[in-house]
Amino acid sequence: MEQTTTEQTVEEQKNYTLGFHGTGSELFGIIIVNWLLTVITLGFYYPWAKAKQLSYMFGATSLNNDRFAFHGTGKEMFKGFIKALIIFVVLYGILIVSVVFHIEILGFAIFYIGFLGLIPLAIHGTYKYRMSRTSWRGIRFGYRGERGQLFGVFIKGILLSILTIGIYGSWFAMNLRNYIFSNIKFGNIEFKSNARGSSYFVLVLKGYFLSIITLGIYSFWWMSEIFAFYVNNISMHKDDKEIMLKSTATGVGFLGLILGNLLIIVFTLGLGFAWTQVRTMNFFANNIELEGNIDLDTISQTEDEFTDATGEDVSDFLDLDITL
Amino acid sequence: MQDIKAIYFDGNSSIAQSIDFVLDEKNAIFIFGSPQLGNAKHSVMDAKISNHSGLLIIEFGTSPIQTIKIDDAEYIKYLKNYLSANGIQTWYQKLINLGVKVHLLIALSILGLIAGSYFFVLPFVAEQAVVLVPKSYDDKMGEEFYQHFVEYNVIDSAKTKQLEEFAQKLQFNNSQKLHFTVVKSDIVNAFALPDGHIIVFTGLLDLMQNYEELVALLGHEATHVNERHSVKMLCRNIAGYLLISAILSDANGVIATIADNANGIYSLTFSRGFEREADLKGFEIMKVNKVNPNGMSNLFLRLKEGNKIDIEIPEFLSSHPVTDARIEYVNETIKSDTYKYQTNLELKKIFEAIKNTTSE
Repeated sequence: MEQTTTEQTVEEQKNYTLGFHGTGSELFGIIIVNWLLTVITLGFYYPWAKAKQLSYMFGATSLNNDRFAFHGTGKEMFKGFIKALIIFVVLYGILIVSVVFHIEILGFAIFYIGFLGLIPLAIHGTYKYRMSRTSWRGIRFGYRGERGQLFGVFIKGILLSILTIGIYGSWFAMNLRNYIFSNIKFGNIEFKSNARGSSYFVLVLKGYFLSIITLGIYSFWWMSEIFAFYVNNISMHKDDKEIMLKSTATGVGFLGLILGNLLIIVFTLGLGFAWTQVRTMNFFANNIELEGNIDLDTISQTEDEFTDATGEDVSDFLDLDITL
Repeated sequence: MQDIKAIYFDGNSSIAQSIDFVLDEKNAIFIFGSPQLGNAKHSVMDAKISNHSGLLIIEFGTSPIQTIKIDDAEYIKYLKNYLSANGIQTWYQKLINLGVKVHLLIALSILGLIAGSYFFVLPFVAEQAVVLVPKSYDDKMGEEFYQHFVEYNVIDSAKTKQLEEFAQKLQFNNSQKLHFTVVKSDIVNAFALPDGHIIVFTGLLDLMQNYEELVALLGHEATHVNERHSVKMLCRNIAGYLLISAILSDANGVIATIADNANGIYSLTFSRGFEREADLKGFEIMKVNKVNPNGMSNLFLRLKEGNKIDIEIPEFLSSHPVTDARIEYVNETIKSDTYKYQTNLELKKIFEAIKNTTSE
């Protein structure tokens, strides 16, 4: 009996290491070849280019020395692109028809409400697609959020933000974040995000004023605080075991990252973009620590495949920069 | 090559399984197995093979996707050679394998292509596009500006009448009606609107000493109208903006800002080009009207006088060529293109009347 207890305590803490192994020259090659093919095909190669680049970035990221993988294909994203295009053509069509028939007010109303309504749908679709196409050790991630519920969070957030002249925005952003992250699965591991709107509001307010007072210098420390707030509120759960995420990023770290990237961009006239991406990924991988007791050898495949990339492409159209 | 140890993930659980891996070169299949798994094989052709610095990852199957991870450097080299020798490598991989130097060359070529289209194709296309813009657009744009302008400025109606009279006696090679207005102001300048309104400030009229200078000025401004310089400028700016935003839509803020400012500075060269054209065609108008061309270089001297308090801004940041350069090329034109001119007494008389009329 006593022996099993000691065995369990030995098993308690596991070691987890995140790593990024990409190099600037490799990524530069991919970006340039993609650029060339996109120019030659007048843009039609874009979905394939995006798949290649995501695949490289995911494949260069590791957890405990095993790489992540992105299985999305150009073909899937191209189909999604066509569907997204149809959605936008219909929206603009309604606008044009309404102008022709002099029912502009109705037309504009439908147009803007449609546009606004697309945002949660795009977020939903993007997460569903991206998570399903991402894996580690062959185990897929998944997003199990409900479209209607996300829509509800979104509409409530927008309305309350308008009513409170933007103050509710902090709660809105965190509700959205918590909803999305708490619906992410990694096999039979569940993600959870528990970021409080009030803490975020204080963080934003404090950072904003300190940044102004210090002529922007504080903004790097502000970034590190926001980053830590996001990261530290994410955890993973499996049965009674868990993994907590922890940020070790500092303001000085962010200063070095951003200033360095800026110098690279300016002095290479933008050609150094790939190297800045690699620096950023390295920074994130080195500054997120995982602590907990989930045995990563015991994850099993639970999530379905989802290959419809429409949401992903609508996000592209809307220029929503969705990152993990 | 003999078999090696590799890691296998079956796509059902996250357990790393140690396997023996071997490539059957002749049949283009790989065979892998372990005492627990038994043996399995899969075609090399259907597998997605990706190379991540020091790691080769083979993915195959759909649901579940199975993964084999090989980290033996020697074996990776051997597999890569096999793939390229047998043409199994994708054309995409071949492009990636060209190396950073070739990629840099490709990048610079694309940038060159973009620069080429920006500097040569774009101005040409913009110039052609002007034909598509209906003349009524010029009128509308000019009229709107004019209405707004006269609301906030005081017109010198006596001088305006005299200037109209002065212009009546001249031939401007114009296809549309020109309207002349004198506005009370110390500003030593004049400008033309696309609908044919030409506005001259009293500040410039006061400095003028000879009717020939006034002919030069009106000829210059009339050319701006005749050549539709405003709309040309607009077309070029829109085209430049579209091209830049199309290329840089995904670029980061720093580069986009640099490009935007560069575009602004470069568009000034067009502005200077239009000024030069207006000077040279203005000269033609003087010639048609048999007016002493020295009026033009004198006009520039007046402008220089009138603006001498200002610090001369460097040419590349200015919408006009620097005055000395204008005087120089106009003098050269005068020398190379001599013609007979005579004193036009009518014009002289009206000009003196304008000078003598005191502003109410």
